[in-house]
Formats: sequence, structure tokens, C-alpha cells
Amino acid sequence: SSLSTAAEPWPENAALYQQLKEEQILLSDNASSLAVQAFLQMCNLPVRVICRANAEYMSPSGKLPFIHVGNQVVSELGPIVQFVKAKGHSLSDGLDEVQKAEMKAYMELVNNMLLTAELYLQWCDDVTVEEITHPRYGSPYPWPLNRILSYQKQWEVRRKMKAIGWAGKTLEQVLEDVDQCCHALSQRLGTQPYFFNKQPTELDALVFGHLFTILTTQLITDELSEKVKNYSNLTAFCRRIEQQYFEGHEKDSSMIAARSSKRSLLR
Amino acid sequence: MAAPMELSCWGGDWGLPSLHPESLTVMAYAKFSGAPLTVNTINNSWRAPKGDLPVLVSEDIVISQPAKILNFLRKQKYNADYDLSAKQGADTLAYIALLEEKLLPALLHTFWIEAENYCSVTKPWFASKIAFPLSLYLPGKMSREALNRILLTKGGPPLYSLTEVEAQIYRDAKECLNLLSKRLGTSQFFFGDTPTTLDAFVFGFLAPIYKVCFPRVQLQEHLKQLPNLCRFCDDILTCYFRLTVSGHSPAGQDTADANLQKLTQLVNKESNLIEKMDDNLRKSPQHPPRKLTTLKLAAGGEESSPMSRLSP
Repeated sequence: SSLSTAAEPWPENAALYQQLKEEQILLSDNASSLAVQAFLQMCNLPVRVICRANAEYMSPSGKLPFIHVGNQVVSELGPIVQFVKAKGHSLSDGLDEVQKAEMKAYMELVNNMLLTAELYLQWCDDVTVEEITHPRYGSPYPWPLNRILSYQKQWEVRRKMKAIGWAGKTLEQVLEDVDQCCHALSQRLGTQPYFFNKQPTELDALVFGHLFTILTTQLITDELSEKVKNYSNLTAFCRRIEQQYFEGHEKDSSMIAARSSKRSLLR
Repeated sequence: MAAPMELSCWGGDWGLPSLHPESLTVMAYAKFSGAPLTVNTINNSWRAPKGDLPVLVSEDIVISQPAKILNFLRKQKYNADYDLSAKQGADTLAYIALLEEKLLPALLHTFWIEAENYCSVTKPWFASKIAFPLSLYLPGKMSREALNRILLTKGGPPLYSLTEVEAQIYRDAKECLNLLSKRLGTSQFFFGDTPTTLDAFVFGFLAPIYKVCFPRVQLQEHLKQLPNLCRFCDDILTCYFRLTVSGHSPAGQDTADANLQKLTQLVNKESNLIEKMDDNLRKSPQHPPRKLTTLKLAAGGEESSPMSRLSP
């Protein structure tokens, strides 16, 4: 089946599925979706973004986003990168072995620290959970289904946090970890336009997805976005990618709208 | 700097100062940075390990996770990363994340979940280090926690069975080992000629895979095909831990191995007996229900099938 995947060219009607943008999607899923959108834009592969309330249940792995290309459904950035590579498009072919190892390590850093911190904030910080997460996560469903589904998801996430040792962390410690991660990313990026100098790779897409979402999402406090804003080369990086890959596409004008009316993205 | 620091951690065997990756990481870092730690390995005393090891105690301060312990040591001016550039510091963080995400699940699986390994090596070894009756409970608890962690972080759909998850985590671990080998190349340590935090973490994760003799060793076999990583572990053991590495003094190592084997066999027998008792207890109530179901099937076969389906 991998042979047949490679044979078919990228179709015009490729679609990316995520939750509803205005009312439902959460910080971590928005970040993941944006990362995939950025990656596909960087590969010059057009994709339509389709928002569905039940996107999470449609996904083959339960995680978002997922893309529907031809008759294949692939979810999450890692498998999507592999899938796109099988079709002959890759951003990291020009890297040598040591650089590829570094790229994979930094992608794990983002998943290990940034994504986990986002999940912690939205599911383990009681104020955020009450005021933002529960209302948004259950918004497409009637009472009591909305409460049941969001409590179920919260229980799942908290179990995972406990297993990896994050349940005992305080919010300050989590923000410290975010700061440490951003510091590392900022040091690695330095003054280059992209992480591997001239050309963007999947790492740039992933970092952009998370940092841009953190910068433009309104939460209870601004503490999280302040951590990222401390590093000017990271904010410049986000602006650069947004200008290069997202402006000028009408379908993604919601991105520009998000930036100009920052305060209305979540809530 | 003046306050004495005491590290409580799991001890070692098979030529290693510790079998436990986190304990080994801290011990290696202390050696690299010259921190004067008194190391107390847990062995059969009534001071039961509370919570997670390793634990550093300095006056009244108690610190428990490797990253936090290393931070504390750095603040006390025992800093192995002094010469690193900021970018190298960032690389350290990234590679540690890679180890935790891609290598640790398979390491946990090899030690705690692979049935043959757990029953014949891991459980007896850890049980022999803890006082009775905690020795009956704690290894099981560590095994359950390891399984829980793997299933919760790696076990979602589209992987539905434990064997699929196992296949995936071993694939990831082998790829991680390949990446580490490529990154190390021909240098002695990851950032040149002096060992740093990253070397401590890599050593902590690799040495147990490399040295512990398990019945099921797919990860060890893969590691042995990467000679620069094996050389890396051996170098650290000989230079910083002054323990003989097997192959350098075979005679001494053999007698030590023989003694260890005898001890392991004794502990094995004891735990096998306990296992058998457990199994007997578990098996006996199950026999009656099995007989019932076979009776039902025999009865159903005699009647015509549509009739039996209609009856609720």
C-alpha cells in the first residue's frame, strides 16, 4: 500500500480536519493543527481546513489534526511528515545525519515540554479548566453530555500527567519549564531565519505552530505568552513564517484576523 | 559547598555502580563535576525507600528527581557544563527529551514488563535489596507503574494491543540509539573531550541496557552493533568508576559472576515458590466456572439452532 501512496500525486481536494475554530478548539490542538498547516504550506501542498465538532472522533488515532488525502487518513505531525515523504516531498532531505538527529531531538523537546505544558495548563489548572476548557470542549453538545465528555477527557489527561510525573508540578514550575524550553529554542535559532539556516524544516513548522498559538491565545492570564515574548528572536521567527506562508491566502485570513483581533481568539 | 551531601540510590551489578537509570545518571554527573557525594545504596535495611530514588540529602534539604538534583549540584558550583556554549546547552535539553520520549519506554519494558526478564532478573535483584515484606510488594509496584506509563504515553489508537505498542517502542528505541551513535561519531564525549550533563544522561540510560544480562536482549544486541556507544560506556566506567569492565580482567569477573549467579538462583527459587503459591491460589476458584460453560455448549448443540437463538 505504500507503493500506491507514492504513485498518486497530491490531490486538489486534500483536507485537514480540526475542531471548530471559534468555539471549541483548545490551545494544544490549535497548536498541533497550525504546525501541520505550516508544514504543508512549506512543502507547497495545498490543503483546505475543515472544522468539525466531532473531528476528534473521526481521527484514526484520536488525536488532531488529521488529513484526508485521496483515500488515506493520517493524523498527527509525525505520521503526516512520513506520509508526505512517501509522496516525494521532504523538507529535511538536505540535512546531514547529525543535523537530522538534532532536528528529531528538538522536535521531541517541543513535544515533551511545550505540548505537555499546554495540556497541563488547559486540563490541570483548575481556574483555566473551569472558565475556558470545560465550556469550550463541550460546547457542541447539550447538557449533560458536555460536562460528561469534558470530565472524561480531563480524567484521561490527568492520568497521563501523573504517569509522567507532571501531576505534582505547580503552575509556576510548569511555566519555568516553558521558559527553559523557549530559552533553548531561542539559543538554537540564534540569528538565523530558520532552525537549519536557509530552509524551513518540520521543526520550524512545529515550533511555529506552538509559539504562534501561545502568543495569540487569550487565557486567564498572560503568563504563558509572556514567557515566549521574552525572546525577541522567537517572536520575529513567528512573524516571519506567518508573513511568508500564511498571508495572501484568503482561506487562512482567519490567521490574520486572529492576529489583529487577538483578544477574541479564545473566549 | 561545605555541607555534606548524601545520595540514596539503587546499587549495581554486572560491573555497573547502579542498575537504575536515574541513579546512574546522578552518580555519573557527580563524578564528572567532582561533587563529593556519599553514596548509600539501598540494601536490605529497614530504611525503606520512600517515594522515588535517587534522593539527595544535604543538611535539611531533600531533593528527588535527577534534573532537580543536577540543578542543585550546579548551584553548589559543581558544574560539568561550565565550558558549554549556550547552543550546546540547548542541544543538551533537546537530546535529554529525545532519550525520555524514545528510549526510556523500551528500557522500562526490558526491565519491568518483558516477562522473562522481569521474573528471572529484575524482580529477584530488586527484591534482594529491600527488606521483607516490602520486597514482596515494591518490585510489583514498580512494574505496574512502568506498564502504566508506557500504555498511557504510547498506547493509544491505532495501536490496540500490547504487542503492537511493544513493537513500536522498540522501533523508536533502536532509531534513538542510531541517532545517538550518529551524533557521537568518533568523539570521546558528546561535546568534545570533557563529559557533561548530556553524557551523564546518555550513560545512565545506555549502561543498564549494555551491561545487564537479560534472557531477552533485543535492545542490547542492537546497542552492541553501535561500537562507538559501547566504547562510550566502557570509557566512563573505567575512567570514572574504576570498575573492571568484562573482558579486561576475565578471571576476577568470572568469580564475581559465579557468586552472583548463585545468589540470583537462591533468590529466584524463593520468588518462584512464592509465585507458585500465588498461581495455585489464583487457579483454584476458576475451575468450576469452566466446567459450567462446557456443559452449556454441549446442551445447546443438541437443540436446533434457530430455537436456541429465539429464546432470550
